[in-house]
Amino acid sequence: MSTSVAAGRGVSISGRTAGWAGIALGVLAAWIALPPLLIRTPAVSVVLAAVGVAAGYYATRQGDRRLGWIAVGMAVLGALLAVIAVKSGEGNLDRVFVWSALTAGMLRFATPLIFGAMGGILSERSGVINIGLEGMMLMGAFFGIFGADLFGSWFLGIAVGIAAGALMGLLHAFVSIRLRADQVVSGTGINILAIGITGYVFIYHYGDQGTPSDISRVPTVTLPLIENIPFIGDAIGHMNLLTWAALLLVPILSVFLFRTRGGLRLRSVGEKPRAADSLGLPVLRTRYLAVTASGALAAVGGVYLSTALLGSFNEQMTAGRGFIALAAVIFGSWRPFGALAGALLFGFSTALAQRLPAFSESTAVLFQALPYVLTLVVVAGVIGRSRPPAAIGVPYVKE
Amino acid sequence: MPSEAPALELRGITKRFGPVVANDGIDFDLRPGEVHALLGENGAGKSTLMSILYGLYSPDEGEIRVNGEPVEVDSPSRAIDLGIGMVHQHFMLVPVMTVTENIVLGQEPRRGALLDVREGSRRVKELSDRYGLAVDPDAVIEEVSVGMQQRVEILKTLYRDARILILDEPTAVLTAQETKELFEVLRALTKDGVSIVFISHKLNEVLDISDRVTVLRRGKRIDTVATEGATEESLARLMVGRDVLLRVEKEQGKAGDPVLEVEDLQVRDLRGLEAVKGVSLTVRGGEIVALAGVDGNGQLELVQAIAGVRDPEAGRVTIEGREVTGQGVRATTEAGVAHIPEDRQLCGLILDFTLAENLALREYRKPPISNHGFLSVGEMKVRARSLLEEYDVRGGDPDTLASSLSGGNQQKVAVAREIASNPKLLIAHQPTRGLDVGAIEFVHNRLLAERDKGRGILLVSLEFEEIRALADRIVVIYEGQIVGEFPPDTSEEELGIAMTGGGRGGREAA
Amino acid sequence: MSPIEDPEAVATTPASRLAGYLRGGGIFVPLLTTLLAFLVGGLVMLVTGSDPIETYKAIWKGTGLQWLFPWTTGADRTLAASNLQQTLIITTPLILTGLAVAFAFRAGLFNIGGNGQYIVGAIAAVWVGSSFAGMPSFLHILLAILAASVAGAVWAGIAGVLKATTGAHEVISTIMLNWIALWVGVWLFSLGGPLQNARQASIPVSDDVVDGAKLPVFWGDPVLQGLHIGIFIALAAVVVFWFLLNRSTIGYEVRAVGFNPEAARYSGMSVGKNYILVMAVCGLFAGLAGAMDVLGWQFRVATNDIQIAYFGFIGIAVALLGRNTAVGTLAAALLFGALISGTSQRNLDPTIFEPSLAGNLTFIIQGLVILIVSADVLVLALISRGRGIFRRGRAAPPPAAEVEP
Repeated sequence: MSTSVAAGRGVSISGRTAGWAGIALGVLAAWIALPPLLIRTPAVSVVLAAVGVAAGYYATRQGDRRLGWIAVGMAVLGALLAVIAVKSGEGNLDRVFVWSALTAGMLRFATPLIFGAMGGILSERSGVINIGLEGMMLMGAFFGIFGADLFGSWFLGIAVGIAAGALMGLLHAFVSIRLRADQVVSGTGINILAIGITGYVFIYHYGDQGTPSDISRVPTVTLPLIENIPFIGDAIGHMNLLTWAALLLVPILSVFLFRTRGGLRLRSVGEKPRAADSLGLPVLRTRYLAVTASGALAAVGGVYLSTALLGSFNEQMTAGRGFIALAAVIFGSWRPFGALAGALLFGFSTALAQRLPAFSESTAVLFQALPYVLTLVVVAGVIGRSRPPAAIGVPYVKE
Repeated sequence: MPSEAPALELRGITKRFGPVVANDGIDFDLRPGEVHALLGENGAGKSTLMSILYGLYSPDEGEIRVNGEPVEVDSPSRAIDLGIGMVHQHFMLVPVMTVTENIVLGQEPRRGALLDVREGSRRVKELSDRYGLAVDPDAVIEEVSVGMQQRVEILKTLYRDARILILDEPTAVLTAQETKELFEVLRALTKDGVSIVFISHKLNEVLDISDRVTVLRRGKRIDTVATEGATEESLARLMVGRDVLLRVEKEQGKAGDPVLEVEDLQVRDLRGLEAVKGVSLTVRGGEIVALAGVDGNGQLELVQAIAGVRDPEAGRVTIEGREVTGQGVRATTEAGVAHIPEDRQLCGLILDFTLAENLALREYRKPPISNHGFLSVGEMKVRARSLLEEYDVRGGDPDTLASSLSGGNQQKVAVAREIASNPKLLIAHQPTRGLDVGAIEFVHNRLLAERDKGRGILLVSLEFEEIRALADRIVVIYEGQIVGEFPPDTSEEELGIAMTGGGRGGREAA
Repeated sequence: MSPIEDPEAVATTPASRLAGYLRGGGIFVPLLTTLLAFLVGGLVMLVTGSDPIETYKAIWKGTGLQWLFPWTTGADRTLAASNLQQTLIITTPLILTGLAVAFAFRAGLFNIGGNGQYIVGAIAAVWVGSSFAGMPSFLHILLAILAASVAGAVWAGIAGVLKATTGAHEVISTIMLNWIALWVGVWLFSLGGPLQNARQASIPVSDDVVDGAKLPVFWGDPVLQGLHIGIFIALAAVVVFWFLLNRSTIGYEVRAVGFNPEAARYSGMSVGKNYILVMAVCGLFAGLAGAMDVLGWQFRVATNDIQIAYFGFIGIAVALLGRNTAVGTLAAALLFGALISGTSQRNLDPTIFEPSLAGNLTFIIQGLVILIVSADVLVLALISRGRGIFRRGRAAPPPAAEVEP
């Protein structure tokens, strides 16, 4: 919404800039109190944050309400973090804030979220709510590693995982498009069914031994030149193939949605199916395709978890990541890059949570709730409403 | 010119929906480059006919010819292929997309695998310039005016090379200025050889823009006349017809003190547009005031504001001297207002509720139906039983679901509930829409009886018959303003002209 | 609350549609749904080399329901009694979480947040139950239950307030609240967390509920997890649910808003206020469920318990299968309670069927039940063919009133 307003009026560019500047100042305020700079007084941070708040407020006055309020929030958060950091011991800070490791961790945890979110965008942009992402991801997680084990090839593992996820997507599509069921109920059913199916086959096939340890895993890509560059080498020098694929998927989906014929049609079906229908576009078929593809993408996220990241499967191992992916979709206003930002943010908070136990075990846990709190704030429209596709959740009946 | 084959010809089109004959053997032809108006009241069968032409319905009987060739139009895409374009009354536009995206959707220009947005907007610009449409190809639909949205709809058809254009009530959503601009565009189009079907029930506009007029009434074609030589009076007579459905014998009411006083009320509609632009109105006890007008001229918003369903922007509403402006339904009900809403299925009844539950909607918080929050289902049924009997509701007892009743009986339930709340002012919004003759008579007699008991009644109606049968005074609303007050014996022609904005040269009195 | 522009939107509130199903299929639809799901479950067993009939027999034995038949005697009867106690212990929270979902459905809302509300209730119950050691037993129990109910109500109320004030969709907000509740719960009891056990610093678990705050066991051995009086509280909740919906002005408004918010608004009801109230009542039921488990048999909450809690989710299946009615929810809760207990490690004979497999089988059956119920039309089509679900195009012509605008 805000972007279209901004694009519509040339004047508000300064508001937009101010908003981004405010966000940057907020980040900066927190950053200077952390390693490597480690400024041991909150004064500088507070001043920076104050300027950030001002910039954000200015942005809201210029019409960029959403961005502006995000900036205000970030600046306040930045100042708070800086104060906390100053009060913490330097040794602890050094241990937690290893930026390259944090970045690598962020990307690692964000990968399944990105796949799930891109799948969610596809389905929801076509007008079908996909609460079932979690279940589709879980299908991918199990059948990915199952396939890799069976065929001895991670590549075929991915293929099997995709097929399993797509099948779940197809089921969701059939129930919610053809049978016109409530899409939320159907998605809930998908999630529970997926727990049952994966758990059953897992136990049936592997018993209490678990998946074998010598399974063919999706390889890590080592970049020979970059590997030795100080920060970058540690951050992205050893990323999993699927992480690269996820990062590549985002621009591809963005281009597809906003720059191709298929994307335009998909969006029109999700926004106003009757209009699409009146021009002879196949509304139902489009939705079938989108929801099935959604399942396939979410499944790749699951394959990553089992076959790339951990090299093993355990029951219900997605542990809510499908829902975080859904949160990222909403957080990012149903746009690929917005959802990417959400996924990275949520990935970062998980990465941080992984390292925080150095401070306090329990505080680290609380960080896990952050994605959900942020999404709740976004859904509540406290910082501008995130607007879903207009026809979402409504079964289409041809006239 | 007359020797040329018609661009479009409909022969003997008949369409039935169950027992209802929506179109009854209708003939219609459209010459190249003409504007042919299709005129008729609500329910006359205009939209059905055009939906058949656009492939949305298939006719039970009859034939369609395009440029002399018999064709079968079984889908909108087929209609598009045949060069038929339709501008629906409710726009088929995607609000969050740009003008260009909306227009090219389904037939997008490409460069390689990608959309060629620039080529698309170039073509849109070109078409727009050719017919003087003044459309910005890169604007987002939801941010442009309704008039512009309509021009986008027209462009959509032109982009698909439409030579026959159907406009369904195109001016219903437009301001006077926008209507003028639309007519300019239509003239440019016909000059270029495009043929236009113009559906409307606004007489002055039909006279202004069309070359010929076909009048429909109750699914039948009444006549086709040349616009030249036709007058508002002659068209109104054709449209309404001479035959009178029913007349209620009534005496003039004895108007008492004012019950409802509305002062300079301004209300916005759902989209935030001004729908009621400063209306003042008085209804006295013991009289029926009819608010007459064509649908969509602000009646709904006015009634909602009086009943407390919608907050007005400005102005005052008082009931017997007590101000209730913007205080919500409950306070307004307490003050003595009852409201039979226009759409009984959407707003008037809860179809999944039983009749007893529906009849309690106004009274459920008071004894004997409830005591301290405890609902007495027994009392609810006892009360319902007597109301159902009094109002002669057939086909159900208190435990019947409202959805299983016929329309007429549903309406009787709504009427019974509202009158039973013993109001000082009763608002009846199209109380007989879609009812059969018997039910209409019942409702009419009941309204007259309540009037004679001293209640003030505000009747909102689109039907001449009903207004003339019931009203003690007639107030005509047009484009959100009261444009005149008439006695009940005013002729249909005179009322019809006032309701369609005729009889007054300039209409920019906004 | 803006008025609804699209008439289709009114006809499709979940409550309205479900009302339609209810009329359309009566009791046959839920029965057939269950049958179908169990059939597929049996098929799964068959494919994986187990004997479905033997397995279902073993599960049936594990539920202890044969205790109800007088011809079950001797050692069988003792075992059945013990198993039935387990079944009813599980049925108790399922009734309550089912009601929490059903009540929302009746108001046209979808409460996916039963799990979070359950967790919040459990936390409140364990906190109060493990504090105030000297309190009189009855008061202590009452206080703990009250705290859990209020906690659940407030938690769910957040979603109601957001819906009423900002229009935030309750599905999204309750999902988010589920996970927030989960992580907050884990945080509270994790090592070093504010409510972590004072005496065992190395175990991420709460303090124990003191004896005075435990729900009395009235059937079976209290040491061997006998049946606590929570089942009566759940049954009372069913009565309250029925009474509230059908015999109070509150329920009248709730149902009106659920069926047709627009007409409710025209009648002077505040749609937003009702949303808040409804969600709070839902949370109350679910919070109560958490209290029953904590005060009835768990007596402590470990971080792990919170992470694997799923009774709130099963509440969705319970409510849907029970048609959102009081009696239906009760029956469906018993069904799922029996299924879970019958397939549990404790009750299922592992020589016939592996309990961990069976546990997953119950998930499959639950998932199928939800899917089939959500697509009720499928079952209706099986009952009376020719409803046009699988036919292309539109079956019925529009009613005459809609022909012309």
